[in-house]
Amino acid sequence: MIQVDGLSKIYRVAEKQPGFAGTLRHFLRRRTRDVVAVQDVSFQIEPGEMVGFLGANGAGKTTTLKMLCGLIHPSSGRVQVGGFSPQRRQAEFLRRITLVMGQKQQLLWDLPPMDSLRVNAAVYGIPDGVARRRISELADLLELGEELTRPVRKLSLGQRMKAELLAALLHEPEVLFLDEPTLGLDVNAQARVRKFLAEYNRRTGATVLLTSHYMADITALCPRVLLIHQGRLFHDGPLEALAEQLAPEREVRLELESPVAPDALEGLGRLEQLEGCDVRLLVPRDQLTAVVAQLLDRFPVRDLDVTDPPIEELIGGLFRQGRV
Amino acid sequence: MRIFGLNRRIIRVLLGSQYAHMLEYRAEIALWALSGVLPFIMLSIWSGSDARSGLGLDGVALDRYFLSAYLVRQFSVVWVVYAFEEDALLGRLSPYLLQPLHPLWRYVAAHLGEQLTRLPFAALIAVVFFAVQPQAFWLPSLGGFLLAWLATWMAFAIAFLFQSLIATLCFWSEKASALERLQFIPFVFLSGLLAPLTAFPPAVRAWAQWTPFPYLIDFPARVLAGQPVDLIAGFGAQLAWIAVLLPLVLLLWRAGVRRYSAMGA
Amino acid sequence: MGRYWRTLRRFWSTALAVQLEYQANVLIELLAVAMSLSGSLFLLSLFYGPDQTLGGWSWAQALMVQGLYTVFDGMASTWLRPNLGAIVTHVREGTLDFVLLKPIDSQFWLSLRTLSPAGLPEIGLGLALLAWGSLQAGVVLTLPTLLMVLVMLLAGGLILYSLWFLIAATSIWFVKTWNATEVLRALLASGRYPLNAYPPALRLLFTVVLPVAFLTTVPAQVLLGAAGAPMLLAGLGLAVVFFAAARSFWLFALRFYTSASS
Repeated sequence: MIQVDGLSKIYRVAEKQPGFAGTLRHFLRRRTRDVVAVQDVSFQIEPGEMVGFLGANGAGKTTTLKMLCGLIHPSSGRVQVGGFSPQRRQAEFLRRITLVMGQKQQLLWDLPPMDSLRVNAAVYGIPDGVARRRISELADLLELGEELTRPVRKLSLGQRMKAELLAALLHEPEVLFLDEPTLGLDVNAQARVRKFLAEYNRRTGATVLLTSHYMADITALCPRVLLIHQGRLFHDGPLEALAEQLAPEREVRLELESPVAPDALEGLGRLEQLEGCDVRLLVPRDQLTAVVAQLLDRFPVRDLDVTDPPIEELIGGLFRQGRV
Repeated sequence: MRIFGLNRRIIRVLLGSQYAHMLEYRAEIALWALSGVLPFIMLSIWSGSDARSGLGLDGVALDRYFLSAYLVRQFSVVWVVYAFEEDALLGRLSPYLLQPLHPLWRYVAAHLGEQLTRLPFAALIAVVFFAVQPQAFWLPSLGGFLLAWLATWMAFAIAFLFQSLIATLCFWSEKASALERLQFIPFVFLSGLLAPLTAFPPAVRAWAQWTPFPYLIDFPARVLAGQPVDLIAGFGAQLAWIAVLLPLVLLLWRAGVRRYSAMGA
Repeated sequence: MGRYWRTLRRFWSTALAVQLEYQANVLIELLAVAMSLSGSLFLLSLFYGPDQTLGGWSWAQALMVQGLYTVFDGMASTWLRPNLGAIVTHVREGTLDFVLLKPIDSQFWLSLRTLSPAGLPEIGLGLALLAWGSLQAGVVLTLPTLLMVLVMLLAGGLILYSLWFLIAATSIWFVKTWNATEVLRALLASGRYPLNAYPPALRLLFTVVLPVAFLTTVPAQVLLGAAGAPMLLAGLGLAVVFFAAARSFWLFALRFYTSASS
């Protein structure tokens, strides 16, 4: 469905000193500098796949996503989406894709989502009857009801995001590009959006490419992930492989009934922090169950929590370890 | 010593930072200075009109009047209501209210910084004007210039207080900036920006004298252009308007803040 | 084509719905227009000294020009300002991407997305003033003049739209062009008065560079039977040239946007 070969994007950035004199000098003699946003990225995505797209801020995720939509023209390389070349932005191509951006909204602020949906139906040339049927189906899936007839400004962030998804999917696109679709949502709303995306993919067989800051989005939805760093692709494969590579250890936080001595925790992973009753341990993944069992067995545990470090930290840690 | 929470250091820092901030917007401010060309369009019409003789401004006096009107306008433009509305909307107002400095001073400093940024552009337009109309060139005497400066600042003070009054109404109604739009219309026609007040029929003129508008453009412009003008009456009227507006603004502001904090918005 | 019509109907019905959310705006707008028009008429009356003429135009004829100006000003508030003003917001907030991903012409979307009915009374008042002025000036309306005036009004509308769109499209490079449209508006105000009231240099400027003359003076001359065929053709030609310029400039801006934006 998506084929990317040797994709690169280089921006020419003007260099300007601050202040009025700098502006004047810039005007007289432009100095530019090339910034490589994406370099020689290649991958293929089959129809119906759900692929997670990971990378730190500024790694080139959004640039790649926009090149796949045709919003940015590549400096070199070849992109094909559904047999089309995105940068020509033919109407036929645009009808098959959709882009959802977590921080930006297409719904009209002062009107109920329904009005924006009717506009989209006309723009995509969807007959009214069909549009009505699709809206009610998608609204059921998204658990949206009378929210569709309330002005967007009066909706909560979660309701607004669901309405955005509805607006983006009204024309039944075959390819979904989702840029941080759960950004800023609370845990419940995130879970509902995730459930919806999985269900949508199952029902329609649409191809999904998704970026997210929340590891949970990726773990729940994407069996395969692409990891991009400083514009280069360096992991393409199952999530487990990446997770083990990125975070061979998990963090265990303990709250004990009474303080313990550091040597009492010997052999139970790497001790990160010990402050009175609060303990933080890093435990290799494969020993996790054993260690947790021992901990519960040996100590008076009041509370226990196992977490993955945030994705940014994981990726950062990976690069610090020099494994690139 | 502090007056309304101000001391020398605060003034210096406030003006310095606002000037730096406004320099970032110099392109917009240049365009803004350019968008004030209306007096010149009106000048070109008045010059060729046969009603010109009734103005009492012959020869180059008319050119000088309209250039002065342009300059006075450039240094008495006020936009506090828009800045205030945006700050209130984006929630920037609450932290300002907690500081031991009256928030209006912040806007005063922003306006002064903007005027300083505008100065070179306004001067450039004046140079172009004299290049086109060399016979109109004049330099006011030092005394005349200082008086004109004072009159322009008084005009700025009146406009600022008047708009602040409207801005404080934002505490009560979302439609406050529409009021600004409505008051701007009589300002344009009655201030002397489009026609010197001597062009008006006597009845209209006598009536206009009782509004603040003529003291915003016509009076300072005449002082700057070196026209014979009743200085005592002009400055007196400006002072009177400031004396009326200042306590009103302060009172309304206090009531507005009380309402704002009561609403917990 | 049918899809474009249906889209347009949807655009405007949603625009009306937005306006109904803010009814008070209509009243304020009405008041502002009434005040502004009476101020303009008062100002115009000041120009009429002992000779009762302004650049060779009688009071009634000048009223026609004022009426036409009011019509175009109303058109700007109804159509141009709400649509083209939003381009800046689209660029600043990054929502232009959504527009570009719609299977519909982006210039069509950006130019016709909304309508602000609050400006309609101004168009009505302008037309009324034009009719009154024409009556007083003794205009005899024949079918050919009516057609010619309509064509000239269309050409004028197209010129105004293209100028405005050209400036609004520069927001792809300079995010804040709000002030640039203010400069345009200030210069357009010169269309309130007949072209002949200006000195020769400005007349040239307002005919060729910033063709305000074709918005107000020329249509009034057509009604008065004082404009010849060359003037009409020049107006039409300018309209086509300006529209083509706006269109190609937009395509150029989009090429820049897609190759340089991040």
